[in-house]
Formats: sequence, structure tokens, C-alpha cells
Amino acid sequence: MAEAGDRAREEFFSETQEIVEGFGRDLLALDEAQRAGRAEPELVNDIFRAVHTLKGLAGLFGAARISTLSHELEELLDDLRLGKVELSAEVLDVLFKSVELYSKLLQSEKEGTEAPGGEVDELVRSVRRATGGGGAPSPFGQYDLDPGLLAVLTEYEEHRLRSNIAQGLSLFRLRVVFALATIDQALDDLKSLAKPLGEIITYLPTGSGADADSIELDILIASRAGAEDLVRALAGKGVSVEEIPRHGARSTPKPSVAPQSKPRPQLPPSILAPPMEPAPDSESAPDIDIARAPDSDNAALGGVRNPAAAQSLRSVAQTVRVDIHKLNRLMNIVGELAIVRTQLARLVERLRASQSDRSVTTDLHRLQRTFDRHLAAMQQGILEVRMVPLGQVFDKLARVVRQISREADKSVNLVITGAETEVDKLIVEELSDPLMHMMRNAIDHGIEGKAEREAVGKPTVGTIALNAFQKGSHVVIEIEDDGRGVDTDTLLQAAVRRGVVTPEEAPQLSMREVLNLVFLPGLTTKANVSELSGRGVGMDVVKTNIAKLGGVIDLTSETGIGTKFTVTLPITLAIISALMVRCSDRLFAIPLANVQEAVVLDSGSVREIDGREMITLRGGTLPLCALARLFDLPPPAEEGGDIAAESSARAQLPASSIGSGSSAKSRWGNVARTGARTLRQFIVVTSVGSRRLGIVVESLVGEQDVVIKALGPSLKGVRGFAGATELGDQRIALVLDVQALVEETLASSERRGFELKGGHG
Amino acid sequence: MADFVRARSRVGLTRRGAPTDRGPRTEYLAFRLGEDVYAGPVSLIREILKPPPLTPVPRAPFAVMGIVSVRGQLVTVIDLRRRLRLPEAGPTRRARVLLVNPTGAETLGLYVDEVLQVYRLADSEIEHAAAALGGEVAPYIAGIARPIIAAASSQSAGQVDASLVILLELRSLLAS
Repeated sequence: MAEAGDRAREEFFSETQEIVEGFGRDLLALDEAQRAGRAEPELVNDIFRAVHTLKGLAGLFGAARISTLSHELEELLDDLRLGKVELSAEVLDVLFKSVELYSKLLQSEKEGTEAPGGEVDELVRSVRRATGGGGAPSPFGQYDLDPGLLAVLTEYEEHRLRSNIAQGLSLFRLRVVFALATIDQALDDLKSLAKPLGEIITYLPTGSGADADSIELDILIASRAGAEDLVRALAGKGVSVEEIPRHGARSTPKPSVAPQSKPRPQLPPSILAPPMEPAPDSESAPDIDIARAPDSDNAALGGVRNPAAAQSLRSVAQTVRVDIHKLNRLMNIVGELAIVRTQLARLVERLRASQSDRSVTTDLHRLQRTFDRHLAAMQQGILEVRMVPLGQVFDKLARVVRQISREADKSVNLVITGAETEVDKLIVEELSDPLMHMMRNAIDHGIEGKAEREAVGKPTVGTIALNAFQKGSHVVIEIEDDGRGVDTDTLLQAAVRRGVVTPEEAPQLSMREVLNLVFLPGLTTKANVSELSGRGVGMDVVKTNIAKLGGVIDLTSETGIGTKFTVTLPITLAIISALMVRCSDRLFAIPLANVQEAVVLDSGSVREIDGREMITLRGGTLPLCALARLFDLPPPAEEGGDIAAESSARAQLPASSIGSGSSAKSRWGNVARTGARTLRQFIVVTSVGSRRLGIVVESLVGEQDVVIKALGPSLKGVRGFAGATELGDQRIALVLDVQALVEETLASSERRGFELKGGHG
Repeated sequence: MADFVRARSRVGLTRRGAPTDRGPRTEYLAFRLGEDVYAGPVSLIREILKPPPLTPVPRAPFAVMGIVSVRGQLVTVIDLRRRLRLPEAGPTRRARVLLVNPTGAETLGLYVDEVLQVYRLADSEIEHAAAALGGEVAPYIAGIARPIIAAASSQSAGQVDASLVILLELRSLLAS
């Protein structure tokens, strides 16, 4: 029971989240339309419907704050829809704020923490201000009209409805079933019959109560005559007539003039207790109607439903929301199956080699190939399920940009491309904070103030381009602004002051090295922001978070022209293709995404520059690092000595052998001499961003898809490994963290100076 | 109580006193590390495995032997001898890996030379004055027990003196 309740709650959260996100998207579109001077009543209607649904959902789940907020917003949106409130920037502000507030409320609701009640109250106040302190009441509010129906009225129909109400006519709902074949004629007949009595304002299909050959229509009619007259006049047409009651005539008038956050009627507990419908379906619509018009006769409303709303509900129901952890489990199973596959393949090979019973062997081989194919398809399928468009994050960013630029009083135009680029869901989740941070930096520190921009002849409206595209098995996200760029001089001065760089080194640093100072933690305190001309508040954190995802961040900047951050991320974290290599009789996996090529090492061509080995490869200089030396692996021993041989390799790598990097020239020779065998070695050319490193290994084993599993917390401090993967034979191969290795080997000389001189002080 | 007595006869006798006045007893799994017998609470030990193929992890802390795969989960294996600064020796046929998760944070494997037997010990049978042992391993020792082992029940390699069992404080031992 509790479980079912939890499940329903989860459904509630994910659905609400989805609606809020849609709300945000619509708002952005509305904002754009408003600035362009276009009227978009349909968008307002969409937003209204979103808020309305939120209110209903919140009511069902007893989320009182969300319900209150929705109620107030509904009033505001209703007035917007009916043109009683002007769609101003202020109103949009309130609406944008409400999107943020919804997210916060959902969060606190989910975590069971104290809801930000003050913010709700404040927003409700501003909503009321925007509503004009409860100006003229909507004439429709006096009637129990279905909001869905109101939502689809054309302007003319709305106008007619309004004037009919103003004339004091009564409203009736007629319901009639027409045969599809003769509907035009029948409708005309009905219209002419009804004409003497009143005016047909609109008609809508009810979407129910009819078979394939006929359609049921709800007809809204304003009439001077009473219900009896209508029934008489339309007798024989199969029409049912209901009067739409007017609130004023009732004992409990709806206080629509001054919207107060009156307590919403709670649904009877019996509805809350049983497990909720897992997916929103059309059944929830009547519930929402109850919530909206508590004092109305539900039976009279049940049938009238906006077809558009019904459609959108149905399309939501066709998708399934799945907990990402369930997908992780599935992925693990596929990983296990991949291991079985490898073992199977090995067995088949053995059978083929032994040449026994050929036909069985051939059959088995064929079967195994089919199995392979299906397994690959399944793996691909699960990966695809995990993929979500980056647009999910970009929408949030667009809201942030709008908010920050208004706060900072800067005009910023955000241009998004590639929002449809897909990335693993987990990556998207982890990406929003770093991207948000970079966006904030770009506006706060990159884009200049309006006056400053004018002074240097730039358009007053700054532009931030947010681009995403796929590049091989990576996704690249760029954030590019046309602001003032990073002030490298000031940055360098600050670095020198902090002792990260010595005054002697400073002039020798390349542009790239200087820019990368932005990512050092010591340089990014708030006190420095102004003198550093911005850039880099918490950029070290951004870099760390992106690195956690296996991504890299790069930065280019030109003074006065702009700054561009490039984030390169793997598309998925779960399964990767890897190059298996052997070194000291141990297998290591190198993610193929980081591998450019593998070549045979010609030890004669190795040169030593500044204490580091390099070779010239395809016209470029490639720094080398021998895996055996880096990991202090023992020389290859004879096979089979698993534990005994390995125990001698357990010694920790002395830190000095990484850091100092300027020992004798014979180091390379040492590696070459390891083991008695002939030593043909290979260079695996790896790259991270634009940096390359040649990893020297003993042999290449082959390519393999591997499921990366994280090392346990007890090995958290061990650098250089992204995790480990199981091989077919219960053995494990460590997966190299190429980025860490590149940083370690390259940075050990690049940044040697900084770190030894106490950059962290 | 009857249940208690029956159980006791199965796990071996203790030298001292009637069982009834000793209070509640705790089960300890005894294992051999080199020449000495150690034990940890049975409640903390999830599983005993024959050592799976072990993959060493370069740069790992000194006491980490490597990682193994247990039904698809990676488990870090700690060499208890190294952890306790005992002299090292080669692997034996009787070596086992004990799976423990004392802090709830991570399942770890403890590499021991041999698994011996289970002792049921009352608190009063345990000498808590472990600090007398001194040295840096003292904080990891919960106490010392001196059970008598029925000669028949001992399946050990033979030469081990099991009259003294060092009880380990696994939580603090593995927390650091």
C-alpha cells in the first residue's frame, strides 16, 4: 500500500516536473512573442492549462503550497487570456518567477523539507498586483463554464459570449449526436431551429458517447428563452438541454472579484488512499474540474472536455517514465550477458579448433552470431532509452539568462542551436549546474554594460550563443559570448600575487596557460572578481564537475571580442568501447573515445625535452608516458604467478617519480629493458580535448565494449583509473582515466612551478 | 536456554564457568593470519569466498591487495596481514576472502590465511585490556579470548596455537 502510494507520488513529481518545464518553455516563447509585439493567445491558453493541471494534481496530492500558487496564477492567466490584464514585462517576470518557485516547491515537497512559504506569499502578492488587485471580474467567472471550452473560444466567439452575457441572456449547453455523413446538413438545420431563440456561440466535439460513424457535439447557446422553450423548439432532434447555472443566482457566490487563497476543498480521503493511476489519463480531468469549480454540478460538466487537452493527456500516457536506476540495472544485466557472449565465443572457437562434430559446431556458431547481433541491438536500445535531448537543460538556462540579464540590467540575446542533441540522462542531470554557472559568468562578467558596449561600437544587445552538437562519441557544448573577453593581464597579475606563478615565469606562459589559470581554485575568490574583470567564480568547481562526467572544458578568449567555453562530454557513461592493452602481463582498458591511433614505438626516435620523452609523430610532437613506469609495474613475469607476482607490485608509486620528472636520461632505457623478451612496444596515442599523450604499452589486445564499474570508496584517492571492467573469465581490467593521466603527465611539468610554490596557500 | 546449550555443544566448549551466569554471548569467526589466530564478530561477516582472481590496483594504499568481482560487483580486498603490520607470506591453498561491510559504506574483502571456526564468547570471557599489547594496532583490537578447542574440531594446519584468539575491532580497523 505504502509502496503504491510512493509510486503514485513519484508519478506526481515527474509529471508535475514535466508540466512545469513545459510551462517554462511556453513562457520563453511568450516572452519572445511579446517582445516581437505578437499576440499569442494560444500560448497563454497552454500556460493556463498547464497551471490548471498543476492545481488539480497538487490538490490530489495535498501539496497545498503548489495548489495555492496555481490558484492565484490561474486567476492571473485567466485575466490575461481574456485580455483584462496587459501582458507586460512585469507580468512575465511574475510568471517566470513562478516557474522557479514551482521547482523549489516541488523540491521541498519531495524532500519533505520546509516549503519556502515566504516566497509563495510574496509571489502571490505580486500576482495579485499584476491581476490589478482584482479589477473587473470576468463575466465568464459567474458561469460554470468549462475552462477547456473557454480556452478554445475564438476571439469572435468570446466577444459574442461576452456581449450575450452582458445582455443578461442565459447560457445553455446542448448535447447532440450527429451522424458524420450528414453532419453539415443536420447542424445547419439545428442552427436555423435555434436561431429564433438565441445565438449558438460555439460547438465542440465531446470526444465521447459516440461510435465511429457519429459524433457528439456540445453546443453552447445563449438564449432569452428558458430551457423548456429550447427543448420544445428542438424536439425530435435528440438534443439534451442543460442550463449553465449562474453563480449569482446561488446561495454561495464565487468571490471571483478579490481572489483569496481560500482553503481548497480537500478530496475525500478515500480517493487519496488507494493507489493512484500510474499515468495521467482522461479520468483525471473530472477531478480537476471538481477542484476548479467546487460548487458546480459535476455531472453537468463531465462531458465537456477540450479536445486539445484530452489529446495532450493521451500523448503523455503513451510514454513511460522509468527510474534511471532501473535502466542501470538493465544495463548491468546486458553487461553480464556480454560476458557470457565472450565465453560462448571462446567455447565455439575451441569446438571449431577441435574439429569434432562439424554440423553442431556450425549451428552453434551461427546461433552465437545471432545472439551477438541481438545483444548488440538490446544494448543499443537501452542506451537510446537513456538518451534525452539537451534541450531539457537549455530551457532552464534560457530562463536563467533572462533572469540574470534583467537583474544585471544587460540586454542579452541567447541563441540556442542543437537543443535536440541527445546525451545520457545522468549526464544531463549533472550538467545543469556547471552550465548555469558558466552562463551566469558570461552575463555577469563577459557581456559589458549597455553604455560600455555602445562606447566600443558593439550592438547594445549582447549575444550568447549556446551550441550543442555531436562529434563522434562525444557531445560538444559551446558557450560563446561577445563580451569583453578575459583580461589576461589582470589574471596573470593576480596569479603572481597569489604565488601561483613567479614573476619570472609569468611572461613565458602561453596564452592558453594563462587562460587556464581561470580554473585554478586559488584564483577564484569573490574578492578578486572586480580586479580580475570577472571570469572564474567557482570555475574550478565547474571544471571538477565536468571532469567527473568524463568531460573536459576548454576556453578561448580574445580581449574585446569575446570568450568561448567548450565542454566536451561522452554521450554515455554506461558502456564504452575500449582498446584493451597489455602491460606487465596485466590488461588495461583505454576508452576508445580517447584513442586516436596506435603505432609501434621506435625507441630510437625518442627524444628527451625538458625531462620528458617525446617523439615526432605526423609532424607534431607527442609526449610519451610508459604505463609500466607510471604505475610502477613489475617487469612481465611468467604466466600463472597471479598473487605471488602481483604482491610484489603492490608498493605505492613514490610521488617523486611523477612530480620531479627530471631524473636520468636512462629512464627510457629502463623501460625498454624490462623483461627478457624482445620488446616491441606500442604507443597508444590518446587525446583529451586538444592535448595529446602517447601511452606506451607492451601489446595491443583488441577492441571491446566494456561496462565501467566504479572502484569502491576505499580506492577513491587512487588517481588514474576511471573504474574497472569485468572480462569474460572473471578477471578484471582497470579502465584508464586518460584525462587524469594526461593532466598528470603534462601538468607535472606545465604546472610544476605553480604547485611546488604553494599555489594552494 | 535449551537452544543455547545445544548450540554451545556444537561450537566448542569454553574453559570457564557455567554458561547461565555469563550473560549473552557473541559469535566470533576465527581465522589464521600467519601464526596467530584472530577473530571478528560473525554478525559482520557476510560471506566466505575462495579467493577469486585478484586484480592489483597500482597506486592503491599499502594494505589493498586489489579488486575482485563478486557476482558482478567490484570488491576491494584488504590484506589483513599488511593492515596489521604482520610479516608477509605467500598465498596458501587454504586462504579465503571474508566479505564484510562493517560501516555500511562499502563491502570489503578481507584476505586471511585460513578460516578456522566459530567461537561463542561471553563478554566476561574476553580480556579487554588490549591496550597492554601496545603498538599502533592496539586501537583495532577489541580484546583477547582464551578458548579451549576440542581437538577434533580443529581443522587447522596443525601448528597454530589457538589457545589465544585476538578479537578484532573491524569497524575501526576498516574505517581508516
